[in-house]
Amino acid sequence: MNGIGQDVWMAVVTCFAAIFTQNILLTTFLGMCPFTSVSREVKAAIGLGVAVVFVMTFTTVLNWLAYYWVLVPLKLEFFRFILFIIIIAAFVQFVEMVVDRYSPKLYQTLGIFLPLITVNCAILGTSLFMVIREHSFIVTIGYGFGSGVGWLLAILAMAGIRQRLNESRVPEGLRGPGITLIIAGLMALAFVGFTGVLS
Amino acid sequence: MKDKPWFAVAYMFVITVFFSTVLIGFARLTQDRVIANEQVMFERAVLESFPEIDVPPTPQVNQRFSELFKKSDDAAGAFVYLKDGQIAGYAVPLEGKGFWAPIRGVVGVSKDLTTILGISFYDQNETPGLGARITEADFREQFEGLTVGKIERPIGIRPPSVSPADNEVHAISGATQTCVRLEVLINEALSAWLEAMNGREVDDE
Amino acid sequence: MSKAPRDIMLDGLWRDNPIFRQILGICSTLAVTNVVLNTAVMCVSLTVVTMMSCLTVSLLRDWTPRNIRMMVQTLIIAFYVIIVDLILKAYWPEMSRNLGPFVGLIITNCIVMGRCEAFAGSNPPGPAVLDGMFNGLGYSFILLAIAVLRELLGMGTILGFEIPYFATPYWDKWIIMVMPPGGFFVLASILWVCRSIGAKEVKK
Repeated sequence: MNGIGQDVWMAVVTCFAAIFTQNILLTTFLGMCPFTSVSREVKAAIGLGVAVVFVMTFTTVLNWLAYYWVLVPLKLEFFRFILFIIIIAAFVQFVEMVVDRYSPKLYQTLGIFLPLITVNCAILGTSLFMVIREHSFIVTIGYGFGSGVGWLLAILAMAGIRQRLNESRVPEGLRGPGITLIIAGLMALAFVGFTGVLS
Repeated sequence: MKDKPWFAVAYMFVITVFFSTVLIGFARLTQDRVIANEQVMFERAVLESFPEIDVPPTPQVNQRFSELFKKSDDAAGAFVYLKDGQIAGYAVPLEGKGFWAPIRGVVGVSKDLTTILGISFYDQNETPGLGARITEADFREQFEGLTVGKIERPIGIRPPSVSPADNEVHAISGATQTCVRLEVLINEALSAWLEAMNGREVDDE
Repeated sequence: MSKAPRDIMLDGLWRDNPIFRQILGICSTLAVTNVVLNTAVMCVSLTVVTMMSCLTVSLLRDWTPRNIRMMVQTLIIAFYVIIVDLILKAYWPEMSRNLGPFVGLIITNCIVMGRCEAFAGSNPPGPAVLDGMFNGLGYSFILLAIAVLRELLGMGTILGFEIPYFATPYWDKWIIMVMPPGGFFVLASILWVCRSIGAKEVKK
């Protein structure tokens, strides 16, 4: 029992670490593409962020199963890039169908973001990091969820700041993505401050 | 024909089979090298943990390793370094959690179990350019000559702004977390090993 | 439909540069831009993958059914990325370890997919390869510029060689440059410079 208890504790720590100290967007820059384009409105940011949390948690877990139960026994570890991306694409498609069928209202708010997620590097990146960091199954659950929440937090904060920026005067060449990156940099700086809180 | 549904399925199938076959073939071709690389990685780290040894190019690493090092039951998991048939030190494997992922390495300890001769890492996934610089010679060389098993003054890794005291080295700037964990990892591995050795030296006479 | 080779080159390198015009594909590489060598390897890998994927997509363009083309493209890109990953693992294991998952992330890099979809899918192989190559180069030169700045300001070295003045105690190393926030700041500054120059050109 002790082993499992320790694993759960590790999962909680990893989850918080993935949100704050090792935020996937602010420390490894993954998921930047939708980040710069969608972060204009708070509402859209929440929609995409929630979809990312959901998809990331489940695909990371599914990919863990696929990697350790299928690829490792077959010694086909190098196939993980293809398999992970297929699983992610299939999962997104599946969720889209389910949501469309049972909750048209949710589909209207979340649906448009789902296809964007397949090409979100943060999703694939989380799965690849999960393999490289040799996380156990329980830790993987915490890690996938935490990475998603971390991404949501970053994009939400960004959208809030950008809405206010609409009224400020920004140098011409810096408008749009330029200023977004500077804000992201400042946020990353703030998140560096979390380092050492968790160890 | 191109618009028929069966064509899309057949097409996808053919493409997948074709590319997978090429990939599997290619992986088979490189497999031996990849496996050899992984083995050599550890052996090279063992050689590097003793600065007096010249580390040969990759193809000869294995040979040099087996000439100089011997696994001994008396050494509590460490490899014994034999120079001209005499024990000259121990290569103690290290393993533990880094900032991101496990860090694995080797510490070279002198024959009388008191001094670190060198340190080397063969598996780490710290942040590139920051924590990953623990593998650079400049950082590793600082450990040479530190004292092992000083209870009151364990090995310390201090921030670059503080000048290191006795038994301490400079951390890598910007990689505080990696260094904090590395400090714990080295001290734990060494004290566990010393305890297992129980102060004895392996008999070579 | 057909574009002159000169236009393809100029578009990829400057006029439609994937990074500062379209802000595409920075994700997979920005994280390793604190060391020039790692960046260079990533840029070469990306350029090769883009070129080869464009070539393959272009060769298959007459047979690929439209509704599954995204799947086919992903498969082709993943194929080349795995090849690059295997080559690095076999012949340059240290680099492979340094780059960790970032080589694999080329698959989701929007540039590769974007060029396959926007250009290679409807053009003959020759121009498609050229387009892939110059988009890759346009991407590489910006990232290398970022890497040179970050390594120089943060560690006082370029490609590991100590640079006079920057490697001496006179230069107070900007550690923040090699940490993640530095990546954002340097990229933003480069965007600013390039866009300002670009805006002037348009006005003329």
